[in-house]
Amino acid sequence: MPELFSPIDYAVPAFIILIVAEMLWARRRAPEKYEPRDTLTSLALGTGSTVAGALSGALVFSLAMWIYENRVFEIGWVWWAWPLCFVLDDLAYYWAHRSGHRVRWFWASHVNHHSSQHYNLSTALRQTWTGFIALGFIFRIPLAFLGFHPAMLLFVGAFNLIYQFWIHTEAIYKFPRWIEYVMNTPSHHRVHHATNPRYLDRNYAGTFIIWDRMFGTFTEEVEGEKIRYGIVKQLGTFNLLWSVFHEWIGIAQDLWSAPWRHKFSYLWRPPGWSHDGSRDTSDSIRAQWLAGQQAKGD
Amino acid sequence: MTAELLKLAGSIAAILFIAWLARFWKLGGDVRIRSEEQAREIAQETICGFDPVEIVIDKAGMAALLRDADGRHLLVRRHGVQWVGRLLDHHNEARLDQNFLTVGTGEKTFGSVTLDLGARAPAWAAGLRHLNIGRPHA
Repeated sequence: MPELFSPIDYAVPAFIILIVAEMLWARRRAPEKYEPRDTLTSLALGTGSTVAGALSGALVFSLAMWIYENRVFEIGWVWWAWPLCFVLDDLAYYWAHRSGHRVRWFWASHVNHHSSQHYNLSTALRQTWTGFIALGFIFRIPLAFLGFHPAMLLFVGAFNLIYQFWIHTEAIYKFPRWIEYVMNTPSHHRVHHATNPRYLDRNYAGTFIIWDRMFGTFTEEVEGEKIRYGIVKQLGTFNLLWSVFHEWIGIAQDLWSAPWRHKFSYLWRPPGWSHDGSRDTSDSIRAQWLAGQQAKGD
Repeated sequence: MTAELLKLAGSIAAILFIAWLARFWKLGGDVRIRSEEQAREIAQETICGFDPVEIVIDKAGMAALLRDADGRHLLVRRHGVQWVGRLLDHHNEARLDQNFLTVGTGEKTFGSVTLDLGARAPAWAAGLRHLNIGRPHA
């Protein structure tokens, strides 16, 4: 096994420099793109996430190693395994991410990344503290069963994460069409972070936007339509702990108060689902919006 | 272990520096609701399909109350340089003090909002009382 470096360790100084550069851009062009308290919350979430990752990482890695020992193929460390692993890991990321938006249990962890009403490079670092509890790793770990070494998975996963950093910006509009067709870009990812009804639960891609095109979840950014970022029910606070745990607390409250036959649904159904229909999901919001658009057109 | 702790200390120092820089460069700003049209836009962004028929804006432009044709009341307020809102229901509370109406949402983290509504405050307090949510007292 080759000795692998930690890509994230090398990327962090670049993250800081790029955030400062984007803040300088905002200072000159659009100061409202950053809000000091929001930035502090995002960065604190990022730091806490690395601590949480360090605490749970060894356990996940051990599990992956156990799965790897029962692998189907002997892939080893051949050169072509690296790009193949990156692409397959990105596909696995797509499904993990899609589930992170469509299943409330996974959303309770992933919502941290979406709870800012701003969209800038600091938002990229707004990462979860509870990923281990949510078991999000179950989507990517099967690649070890195929025969990719867990260290390779960790390595390509880190590059995927680094790629996704720079797309969290409003400073870049769009790239040439061929890039926008294949790659996840700032434009595509702005759509993903938007709460505009037409954009809800779209563009789940990590690095390659082709997965969304293939699986029917792609939506193009519409020029001239103002994007509203964040979550459907904005938090309205910069409280760090509430930002981390609010959805978990919501789940606990719903499990406590819901009738027995509906309790489990509050875990696996989409965020916003309720047994009495009193709340809105992404789908119901989009349906309302489409009905409104149709009524305007008639 | 020491190296990990040093990395963590470095990260904390970096985030404090960036947050200080954001403040030093005066990023953010001072947003206010300056017109009914703006309040309407914020409401529609907050609740899909919310079409207000009556709007009252806090004199300082920090918040607004809106009512739609179905009698739903929406409170919007400033959050940093963005806007947040909540539909008011029976979990909320309203207190009237002359021209000032304080509306509590029932959410501790969202907090309560005091709006200077001038002469329109009593009417809006009555509207909220109609929702059976408040205990206004002059």
